[in-house]
Amino acid sequence: SVAEIRAGFAAIKANIQARDPIRTHSILSHPRSLHKVKSSDRCCITHHLFDFYVDKVFKHCKTEDSYVNRKISSIANSFLSVRRKLGQCHEQNQCMCGQESTEKFKQILANYEGLNVTSAAMKSLGELDILLDWMEKSR
Amino acid sequence: SGELYCSLLNPRNVRFESINMKNVLHWSAPEGTGNGVLYKVKYSIYGVGKWIRKPECRNINRTWCDLSSETSDYEEQYYASVKAFLNGMFSDWVETTRFNPLTDTKIDPPMVSVSSTEKSISIILTAPEKWKRSPEEESVSLLQVYPGLQYNVSVLNKKTKKRWFFSISNHTLIVPRLEPGTAYCVSAQIHVTTPLLDSGFSKEHCIATLKDK
Repeated sequence: SVAEIRAGFAAIKANIQARDPIRTHSILSHPRSLHKVKSSDRCCITHHLFDFYVDKVFKHCKTEDSYVNRKISSIANSFLSVRRKLGQCHEQNQCMCGQESTEKFKQILANYEGLNVTSAAMKSLGELDILLDWMEKSR
Repeated sequence: SGELYCSLLNPRNVRFESINMKNVLHWSAPEGTGNGVLYKVKYSIYGVGKWIRKPECRNINRTWCDLSSETSDYEEQYYASVKAFLNGMFSDWVETTRFNPLTDTKIDPPMVSVSSTEKSISIILTAPEKWKRSPEEESVSLLQVYPGLQYNVSVLNKKTKKRWFFSISNHTLIVPRLEPGTAYCVSAQIHVTTPLLDSGFSKEHCIATLKDK
């Protein structure tokens, strides 16, 4: 569940964010904040983002700290189960993708590809609270 | 020839301390330095390129700087940084960790008001307000910031020492079927499920139910 993801992330947030020295670049929140996404597009963006984290991010987030690695894999597992539920919405056409969400997600991918894969993955992981804050606020 | 310059030890423990989103940067003086050290402060929005100086915290000798105004947008995250200088020597810039006003603030307990009848107590709870720039500015309750905000309420029968706990989302609570002419003490706490945030419990508010007629 999202609460499990939140708790898991809170436990490693300082550690993960300390591994990201780049202050001037964000994957999720700039140049356009997630909070500016229209409500009709939220489900689609959320679905895209869960795919993004599962398919692109977690696999590149290995650290030398076994405790941190365990937390990352438990967060990844929680993502998988939430993604499954989102997938059901997608199948039942309750998760339509408008042009805005497509544009927003392209921007996120461009931000991600603007860095080397390890830095991009670690930065994305360090921005999980940005994703969770946005999801909870827009519930 | 090498350039000779003296550097000052760094400020320590640079961090945000935040209560109800009043976000104040705090630090400790460099080790071994007495009075006379001055500081300057800058901050940046995470994901945006530039550092921004805080003029009101330039050449200051105190070890805090109120950045509430600069960090009031809680949809953003921030870094802040401090530099010390003394007699021509200066330290490095020392940064905070990434500050997220939404998850990194502490919340004050709710305000509690109570009234009673013969056999019941009515409790009204008020969540604290988010910090605001001036009294004239429109108030924003933390209830608006945290839609999942709940209250944990404790009611103690002073005579029997029996205690009840209630967890409510509504801001009012009526506790029925109480003993007439008895003192009850009420205390309440704010509980936000996600992000996980708990206030302390408020101080106790005691009231007696009316005596039987």
